[in-house]
Amino acid sequence: MTAIAEAVRAGELPGRVWMYSNYHCNLACSYCLTESAPKVSKRELTSEAMIGVAHDAADLGFTALGVTGGEPFLLPDMAHRLAELGSILPTVGLTNGTLFTGRRLDAAEELAGTDVALQISLDSADPDVNDAARGPENFAKVVAAIPALVERGVTVRIATTGQDPDAVAAARLCALHRDLGVPDEDHVVRPIINRGRAAEAGMGVDVTELDLPAELTVTADGAFWSPFGPTVVAGQLDTDLLLTRTTVPLRVPAQTLLGLLQGRPAGADSTLNIR
Amino acid sequence: MNTAGALVTAATPRVPLLDAASAPLTARRYFSDGDPGPIVAALASVPELLEVTLPFLSTVLSASALDARTKEIVIVRTSAVQECRYCIDAHSVVALDTGLTVAEVRTLSERGPASLPDEREAALLAWIDAVAGATGPVQDSVAARLGASYRDYEIVELTLLIGATMMLNRFCTALSLPTSTEVTMRLTEEGLV
Repeated sequence: MTAIAEAVRAGELPGRVWMYSNYHCNLACSYCLTESAPKVSKRELTSEAMIGVAHDAADLGFTALGVTGGEPFLLPDMAHRLAELGSILPTVGLTNGTLFTGRRLDAAEELAGTDVALQISLDSADPDVNDAARGPENFAKVVAAIPALVERGVTVRIATTGQDPDAVAAARLCALHRDLGVPDEDHVVRPIINRGRAAEAGMGVDVTELDLPAELTVTADGAFWSPFGPTVVAGQLDTDLLLTRTTVPLRVPAQTLLGLLQGRPAGADSTLNIR
Repeated sequence: MNTAGALVTAATPRVPLLDAASAPLTARRYFSDGDPGPIVAALASVPELLEVTLPFLSTVLSASALDARTKEIVIVRTSAVQECRYCIDAHSVVALDTGLTVAEVRTLSERGPASLPDEREAALLAWIDAVAGATGPVQDSVAARLGASYRDYEIVELTLLIGATMMLNRFCTALSLPTSTEVTMRLTEEGLV
């Protein structure tokens, strides 16, 4: 068993490895961590790279995968990629849920019965409130997509991101997600993080690495402490939560992350091998 | 990003110089005592390289079996041969602090041939010029002259020091790393600018 596997088993290291499949998005949400929008640099991970990360993660002893962006489903083969990833480790794919019509909805059927869940963003039961943050017609598209996916056998979760949702609004939102076919255990609520576009707008809670689960996150720019790490402000990638630029083999950033968690200097777990 | 405000002189770096706020997790300790200088600030963009490069450079360039004067002769002269403005400036100050005279530093940092009266140091300068200032094999006569004054293990360390300095020379020059105003002011005071 690897040191990574032991740490995951002991609960010292979170078991999920995240991948930023791409940074571009059809939306431009007000609190987006990565300043994603239609015309930003795509910074994609190839399908081969993602599958490679998944195999490395499984070999090292990680237990789950996550895919985020950007909007992953702007990549035409994303449903198939997720299905492949789900055949390696349980996978959650984050999506804004606005693209599931026509061929993309048909393609998503490949996820039915797999170990893949789609986590769709929905911030309020009030369309105006939701759309103020996420863009025009977002609410309508999402509440149409979720039951369509559920009907096709796709596991759907809902993620709500907000400043300070009051109890009444939360109750209405929960009633809505139940109506859409998503049970309470598949609804997650999270705060806005004061990074990326939210930081520029003065929104969200301040965090350091100590506040964020150490979930190894792979991007086209390197590996980070958390999926909240590779944020972008004014077009510049934040490097404060960067672990390594090296992502292949995955053990390089994984060992760095584990070393930080265990308070060891990087490289202290290696041995001299001079011949 | 570290604009390094008052510290920056004319050179404009070609890569971002990270500051304490943008330093990656494993690089933060190098920023804990203030500005670590542009070499660290540049390397911090690739923290896994910083983690191995800095201990290596520190071991090779700092106190060792070789005396400090000899090491600074190697570093300043190699940098002059390689025409690395940043390294010449930075290590001219270190050389002065080590005890080299202004005249010695001026001789070593000139682009043309350098000379020192002591035969041991003259042999060393010939070795530096042959290693850092040329490609291909080093002449046996130059090696023999050096071997007459230095033990084998010292030659190993001297040669690695030349090589490490050359690596830094090309890194700093190619990336256009800026000399600090403190260094420039000191060199001006000493008449070396």
